[in-house]
Amino acid sequence: MTPDALEDFLSLSVDLTAFERTDLLGTGLARQYLAKVRDACGEDVVTALLEAHRAARTEAAEDGARPDPQRLDRALRHRIFSEERLGPVARNVIKLWYAGTWYGLPPEWTDSYGAQPAAETSTVTAASYQEGLLWRAIAANPPGAKAPGYGAWARPPAIEDRYLKGRSHDRTG
Amino acid sequence: MFVKFPEGEAKRTDPTTAGGVVYDAVIVGGGIAGALIAARLGAAGKSVLILDAGPAEDLTLRGYESYLDRFYSATNKDNQSPYPVNPNAPMPRGTDARRIFPGVPDSSAYIVQSGPFATDTTYTRVLGGTTMHWEAKTPRMLPEDFQMRSLYGEGADWPLTYEDLAPYYNEAEYEIGVSADVDDQSYLGITFDDDYVFPMQGLPLSYLDQVVARDVDGMPVELDGVQRELRVRPWPQGRNGVPNPAYNGGEGYVPEGAVSTYQVEVGERCQGNNNCVPICPVQAKYHAGKTLARALQNPQVHLVGQAVAYKVHVDEHTGRVTEIEYRRYDKPDSAHFTTERARSRLFVLAANAVENPRLMLASGLRGSNGLMGRNFMDHAYLLAWARLPEPAGTFRGTNCTGGITELRGGRFRRRQAAFSVDIHNDGWGWARGAPMSDLADLVDAGGRYGESLRQGLVDRVSTQLLLAFMVEVPANPSNRVTVDPAYTDHLGNMRPILTYDIPDYTMRGVAYARQLSKRIFARLGAEDHTQYDPSFWGYAVYGGEGYEIRGGNHLAGTHMMGHDRSMSVVDKDQRSWDHENLYLVGGGSMPTVSTSNVTLTIAALSLRSVRAMLDQLAKESAPIRVTSEARAQGLPREVTL
Ligand SMILES: Cc1cc2nc3c(=O)[nH]c(=O)nc-3n(C[C@H](O)[C@H](O)[C@H](O)COP(=O)(O)OP(=O)(O)OC[C@H]3O[C@@H](n4cnc5c(N)ncnc54)[C@H](O)[C@@H]3O)c2cc1C
Ligand code: SF4
Repeated sequence: MTPDALEDFLSLSVDLTAFERTDLLGTGLARQYLAKVRDACGEDVVTALLEAHRAARTEAAEDGARPDPQRLDRALRHRIFSEERLGPVARNVIKLWYAGTWYGLPPEWTDSYGAQPAAETSTVTAASYQEGLLWRAIAANPPGAKAPGYGAWARPPAIEDRYLKGRSHDRTG
Repeated sequence: MFVKFPEGEAKRTDPTTAGGVVYDAVIVGGGIAGALIAARLGAAGKSVLILDAGPAEDLTLRGYESYLDRFYSATNKDNQSPYPVNPNAPMPRGTDARRIFPGVPDSSAYIVQSGPFATDTTYTRVLGGTTMHWEAKTPRMLPEDFQMRSLYGEGADWPLTYEDLAPYYNEAEYEIGVSADVDDQSYLGITFDDDYVFPMQGLPLSYLDQVVARDVDGMPVELDGVQRELRVRPWPQGRNGVPNPAYNGGEGYVPEGAVSTYQVEVGERCQGNNNCVPICPVQAKYHAGKTLARALQNPQVHLVGQAVAYKVHVDEHTGRVTEIEYRRYDKPDSAHFTTERARSRLFVLAANAVENPRLMLASGLRGSNGLMGRNFMDHAYLLAWARLPEPAGTFRGTNCTGGITELRGGRFRRRQAAFSVDIHNDGWGWARGAPMSDLADLVDAGGRYGESLRQGLVDRVSTQLLLAFMVEVPANPSNRVTVDPAYTDHLGNMRPILTYDIPDYTMRGVAYARQLSKRIFARLGAEDHTQYDPSFWGYAVYGGEGYEIRGGNHLAGTHMMGHDRSMSVVDKDQRSWDHENLYLVGGGSMPTVSTSNVTLTIAALSLRSVRAMLDQLAKESAPIRVTSEARAQGLPREVTL
């Protein structure tokens, strides 16, 4: 595995998950996740996915500036999410980060692009479940791990403010 | 404080040597019922042999952690996922349930289900039994629950009253280590001794409970002409909280921690892991392994694991049980076994309300009145789910901290079943597989990723509210456990066959529960998302409406206790009417399940029965011959009966 591929995979993952690079590295699982995607889909697919992502970022960034979010969204939809081969894989990468589980690809995907030995639904390690980003997104702990402490449940969930916008009609005062 | 499991104890007792000893008591099953009785008999100086079907492994921290690892790694985290598959002592699994078509029993899983209603009810066959993965809600029964027939003309009366059981509820709350406050738990006739406090203070309500309480507290409900106001009330819990310094007249209470063969620093206060079912990672939750470990510290209490009771042998003339024949498998993954026997003065079956009658029936002991295995009961769960107008947070705290209990009792029980209501802290998990199903849906169907995914998860998951209505099912002789030599397991044990239907009385309660859920959601301004799927295995139609009904894991009724030997299997001490030295203990003895989770009552009944057992042992003192060989090995005294 080249360090470049890992960097590219992280950059893709940041866009797919909306978690910072440091958060993703903090799970300690980035390397294993990349390896998992390779084992499950094959090297070619991973290379194509990373390339498509690079291209999308370039397309969305005029004159080497930071990519414009709206244009990046459009480019990702056009180049990756709607793409027959890459779309399902990208969605699986999202779920891998959020749930810690690699979900088997849909049968039409494997029919077209071949099944790899490691393609079925599986957890990557016991730790991957605990590191799922889903739990952080909803300000909860993964059930059975990372316990928040006695009585913590009596306080409101520590969901980041930006996700509570527009839903605060009776949270005033 | 940790609970010491004597190292090597799970393998120390040699089954064949033990077969040459007559114990004071042989107990089949090391769950909460068996473990409590073993501990108490041992403490009274009696010799005890426990036979348990689960693997003969010491309860160690490492062993416990291997359950946890199996849970973390499982792609399907159902409630048996931490426990290894053991074909020699198979167990039912929630995922087994299939829709049953008339006349075609479903024998694809351990329990053969002949319907008409399919259930996903489960139990666990490992040391410590089903409390390894119970949720540990520990409500007492209401005084009226003991008199259902005379008060409301439904179900059966107990030969005991609430007052008879109350002192044993106190003891059971001590043994389990219950966290609750008397003020919260005194309702609908439940009373406590004047100076009583629970061992530990009540667990705080979750933020979600508090959000629900804001609107539900004070909600008026009229039923059968009686007006009442709902309120959100904390559940008593069998998990460690803050010890109450006022306990036991100011002596306080020391919670029990994790079970291990060496000192460990886990198992103290509940940390809010939200994983009580299927396994509490830190053993803050009570499980019977704690009681078992304590019982086994007594050299008079022995354990043989990998011991599956096969047949109860009875003396034809006296009706007394002479021995239990069991099959001791070599390894969980091999079908090789040796036939062993266990002898004692008293025999106690504590294998749970399905396994007790299964064993009796497989031994040809249907009972002189044919009632063995009949009157199977469980709770019928109806779920209703909605989305709150604001995120109140899900997946935080214990699985459930609060509920609504006003409809557990009242005159309406003449017509329809009572229920209690749980407010689930784990969102729509039970009903619809949240949060993983939401994640998959948002990503695969919703095209969400990045920020819009994070927003979607908060909007969809953190606003979930699920109410679980636990509806009572009265005793009915046609709901029953039977056996048939056509259905056996790996070791040649006959498997339980379950015939189960939900009566109209319960369905009236179910229909009312659904109506009430709609009113509660409306009061909360919540969006009702409840939808019952006609292809669901537990789909039941009543009054033109369909409902998804789930099993309650609260097995009861199959060897019911009563005043009258022609109408019951055991007496109020849980002693068999037919076999004077046999006790069948556990939920099977309960004449009603009513609206409380059964285990606290099982524990109280077990503790109460110990008195009768000790009296009987004192009365039936046969001459005792002590062999030097047995003493040298620390074995119990040999007795000749
Ligand atoms: C998911 C879930 C959640 C629950 N939540 C709650 C709750 O919140 N509150 C509550 O009150 N109850 C709850 N329960 C129910 C509770 O777990 C049981 O009522 C309780 O554990 C029964 O205890 P027992 O000792 O009678 O039987 P068990 O715990 O089933 O123990 C029986 C023992 O007998 C052994 N055995 C079985 N067959 C044989 C045989 N042939 N030979 C030798 N040994 C045998 C088994 O290995 C086991 O150790 C829950 C159950 C489940 C499954
Ligand atoms: S919430 Fe957690 S720490 Fe508390 S009892 Fe449940 S699993 Fe254990």
